[in-house]
Amino acid sequence: MTLERIPIRVEADDLPMSGNAPAVLREIGELLHRLAEEGVGGAIDLRSLPFLPGDRVWLEERLGCGEVEISLQAGGLSTFSETRFPGVWWVVHRNPQGAVVSEQVEVTRVPDIIVADPNDVRNGLANLNDLISGLS
Amino acid sequence: MNEMQFLTWVRGPGLDIALSLFVLGVLWRLIEIYSLGRKKDLSAPRHKPGASGWHTIARRSVPPEGMFKTSPVSYVGGYVFHIGLAIIIFLFIPHIKLIESLVGVSWPGLPSQVVDLVTVVTLAAMIVLLADRIMKPTKRYLSGFQDWFTWTLTFLPVLTGWLAVQHLLLPYTTMLALHILTAELLLVFIPFTKLFHAFTVFGSRWFNGAVNGHKGVPV
Amino acid sequence: MTMNKNAKLLENLEWQGVSRRTFLKYCATLASLMALPPSAGRAMAEALAQAKRPSVIWLPFQECTGCTESITRSHSPSIEGMIFDMISLDYQETLMAAAGHQAEEALHKAMQDNMGKYVLIIDGSVATGLDGAYSCIAGRTNLEALREAAQGAAAIIALGSCAAYGGIPKAKPNPTGAVAVSDIIKDKPIVNIPGCPPIPVVITGVLAHYLTFGSLPELDKLGRPKAFYGETIHDRCYRRPFYDQGKFAKSFDDEGARKGWCLFELGCKGPVTYNACASVKWNGGASWPVEAGHGCLGCSEPDFWDAGGFYKALSMPADPLKMTAGAALAGAVAGVAITVANRAKKGAAKAAHETTTLADLEK
Ligand code: SF4
Ligand code: SF4
Repeated sequence: MTLERIPIRVEADDLPMSGNAPAVLREIGELLHRLAEEGVGGAIDLRSLPFLPGDRVWLEERLGCGEVEISLQAGGLSTFSETRFPGVWWVVHRNPQGAVVSEQVEVTRVPDIIVADPNDVRNGLANLNDLISGLS
Repeated sequence: MNEMQFLTWVRGPGLDIALSLFVLGVLWRLIEIYSLGRKKDLSAPRHKPGASGWHTIARRSVPPEGMFKTSPVSYVGGYVFHIGLAIIIFLFIPHIKLIESLVGVSWPGLPSQVVDLVTVVTLAAMIVLLADRIMKPTKRYLSGFQDWFTWTLTFLPVLTGWLAVQHLLLPYTTMLALHILTAELLLVFIPFTKLFHAFTVFGSRWFNGAVNGHKGVPV
Repeated sequence: MTMNKNAKLLENLEWQGVSRRTFLKYCATLASLMALPPSAGRAMAEALAQAKRPSVIWLPFQECTGCTESITRSHSPSIEGMIFDMISLDYQETLMAAAGHQAEEALHKAMQDNMGKYVLIIDGSVATGLDGAYSCIAGRTNLEALREAAQGAAAIIALGSCAAYGGIPKAKPNPTGAVAVSDIIKDKPIVNIPGCPPIPVVITGVLAHYLTFGSLPELDKLGRPKAFYGETIHDRCYRRPFYDQGKFAKSFDDEGARKGWCLFELGCKGPVTYNACASVKWNGGASWPVEAGHGCLGCSEPDFWDAGGFYKALSMPADPLKMTAGAALAGAVAGVAITVANRAKKGAAKAAHETTTLADLEK
């Protein structure tokens, strides 16, 4: 059972905000600028920030949804959702039980982990060749 | 002794010792001073408007004619840092919690960002006053050991408290312990130095005013 | 386990059906937990993939097995579980099947085979009273066992507040003379991973660092890895904005508590506690003590058990004041005594005073 499934009612009238979210948005801006200029982005670990519930919602609303949504099944589900700013990805890694193990904003053209590794490609090729040679 | 033990000591036995010496000293000096007694003035009081203990308490809180121009630093700096100290000591929430746990009364405090700002201003005012005391020949001439000593005693808790909150210089735990320790030193020395004016300032003003008032001299 | 001891790590993992991406995901998570930049996750993955499985010997001393529980009960199969597949845990009393003489044999064999190379994990404090007789395993004191095992160790991990600082066994009046591992062993690199219990991922983080870089991570003054103990709970606490605004819960069930206000007044030791709970969290990231509504006890700091009470605000006196009432009395007595002396002096002066008459003046 994941935490999200426990019905927790937040009693505050409005979701409280710490004021840290705008700073994070600015940092994302910096990273994206670097990606645009030098081709190297970066990542921000969302779970280690002192965020109140309102901060997350605020940030999510600003970043919005883009065109790409990737899901990865590797030791639990991971989702990579491009925001409405190309190059800015909202990344959530889960464990096999479905609990979130890390959550980041990644600024990159394509998240590293998605790209097929040359070794894996080679292994895959070998397997495929086996399969093909097995064809009569 | 590691930093946690240091902190626990200043919060425990250290505080006990400091508060004890403080209470002992304050009671001793207050009783001593207020029981001195003066001979009754048998002359008939000369009444003049503005000549009384209460008038003096109020009037000595504002600079006399012309004095403000002569030493603006002393007046402005003095006011800023005294009011600042009062705000820091009595309106910072952890301090209120301490007072509440000691004597059982509490009141609302200020957000820590506000207290933080006040602290910076207070520290600046104290530094300016110190510089003024060093630079002005008259002030320097009039200053004795106690003046330098009590300035340091007052300055250190404010500085260490601010550094602790800002996480500067030393780990928070150590800085917090140093803050409490320096505040305890201050407590211990209040009754036995010039700092005792915190308790006697209005009493002595009233007394001076009353004596002068009796003679018909507005001060 | 029948894994090839000399195979590279990633090969072993692949052999177990762990894909490269799963491994990369693990490294990325680990890097972010260790506050390393994402590029380090990549570097870590590359180095880890090439690493050999080191031998690990785990000795329990005066402890409650809470630390072992913390690590083995972490959500499995977990990233913590994965790192344990990366090492060769050659001796761990609670987990191994062998017992008695067999276990002892396994221990000595592991020590001989990996002389100078194994990582030694200790949980629990070392009893030194009565020559260590308070805590023995297989007829030998922990003190002896530690000295012997430490000799061949490449590095020592003192797991939990007991091994790191002496812990609960060292609480006043410390009947068994409990001390920390670092009080006994002076000539080996020691990493302290305090916590009661420590966060599982911290130990895996340290092991991963050791596997990746072949060295121990950067440590703070108390021997703790800075990546996890570099900041206080308070620095990373999501209730911090309430602390700054002065909004405090006054009891565990008042309105403030329900609104999630700061727990400082209820005794939270977050401001002086260096640990990663606020960012890494517990139970697979589900929650952590302050999020569950209880203040931090300060469990990763030395002597937290003797630091003046879990429910007392940090700004409050740690002990009840014992001398102040007496001091007030003494002060009053001193004041009165001086008054009496002053009055007596005045009286004496008055008595000694001779009245001058007109006749005297005309003399
Ligand atoms: S709950 Fe504790 S750690 Fe969190 S802000 Fe309050 S005092 Fe700090
Ligand atoms: S919140 Fe504090 S007491 Fe609780 S586990 Fe973390 S460091 Fe230990």
